[in-house]
Amino acid sequence: MSQSLRPYLQCVRSSLTAALAISNFASQTSERHNVPEIEAQTSPELILNPLTVSRNAEERVLIEPSVNSVRVSIRIKQADEIEHILVHKFTRFLQQRAESFFILRRKPIKGYDISFLITNVHVEAMLKHKLVDFIIQFMEEVDKEISEMKLFLNARARFVAESFLTPF
Amino acid sequence: MSQINYRTINIDQLDPESSANFPMETLLPATLPQPETSSDAANVATQVRQLLRGGDTEGALRHVLDTAPLGGDDRAKEVHLATVIEVLQGIRQAEMTRVLEGVCGADGGAERADCLMKYLYKGMSAPAPSSGAQSPRKTVSPQETGFSQVQARNVGEGGGGQQMSVLLNWHEKLVELTGTGSIVRVMTDRRTV
Repeated sequence: MSQSLRPYLQCVRSSLTAALAISNFASQTSERHNVPEIEAQTSPELILNPLTVSRNAEERVLIEPSVNSVRVSIRIKQADEIEHILVHKFTRFLQQRAESFFILRRKPIKGYDISFLITNVHVEAMLKHKLVDFIIQFMEEVDKEISEMKLFLNARARFVAESFLTPF
Repeated sequence: MSQINYRTINIDQLDPESSANFPMETLLPATLPQPETSSDAANVATQVRQLLRGGDTEGALRHVLDTAPLGGDDRAKEVHLATVIEVLQGIRQAEMTRVLEGVCGADGGAERADCLMKYLYKGMSAPAPSSGAQSPRKTVSPQETGFSQVQARNVGEGGGGQQMSVLLNWHEKLVELTGTGSIVRVMTDRRTV
């Protein structure tokens, strides 16, 4: 693991551990509803100060806590246009299968590549430290995955170009 | 009047009893310090710079955290944030733990630790000053196909990586000392820095 990645992930880990202190809270605006307050945005007092953890201008995590839900948005490193396309395709693939990931949000927040929405139901049903581990592991893996895909794409493009240009 | 689509009006905002109109100022304590202006913050900055020049890094950090403009306007807060980051960057990595223990261990140290944590998060959320100037990102590629491999190599560190890694190191040391409690207080405290 690179030298600057470890403090970054450690900071995200401790921030998430702190932010995931959430409990059941029924909606104040409509009776017998129970909605994630961070998405509903109906009561300003229930939404806490957002935290941003950034590694550099390109990579950052936004944690928006509220009384019964936490929204975690990740901006993945994109060094060039190929990586931009790969990240877009990759996150889209995951988001189309959002219900198998439980905490994945179907649409990212503006300015970020992928968002998770963790509600009190998830924290009650799953272990909190495992949830944090999942997000940290995702962040570790996604960089590796994208650079692997880029190498693979370049290799394939070279092969295609070679066989295309053989007759000339 | 008939031009406005009444279905798009958020009626909750018009109702004084609605939770959307919660009076947020009631969440602030009455003991908030006097509002500061940017010139006060600049005065603090000069004092802190003198302390730094004298080699008293611990005193500089303590002073800058004690004079945080909790009741100040945005401009004062920005100036103060720049001062805090300057102090943090001026302290060597080997000295971090010793300085932190000195600043947070003394009387009123818990408040200083919370204040420092607020500044660490604020520093990370602010866009790094160097990133915009040195590398204007070109989204338009020189080739007509939209694809090009001829680009500035941008390996690992984007802009502002240096400042962020300083803040991340401080964050790690501070969490070791205070635990996650101070992060929770950053989220819940309405007295932002």
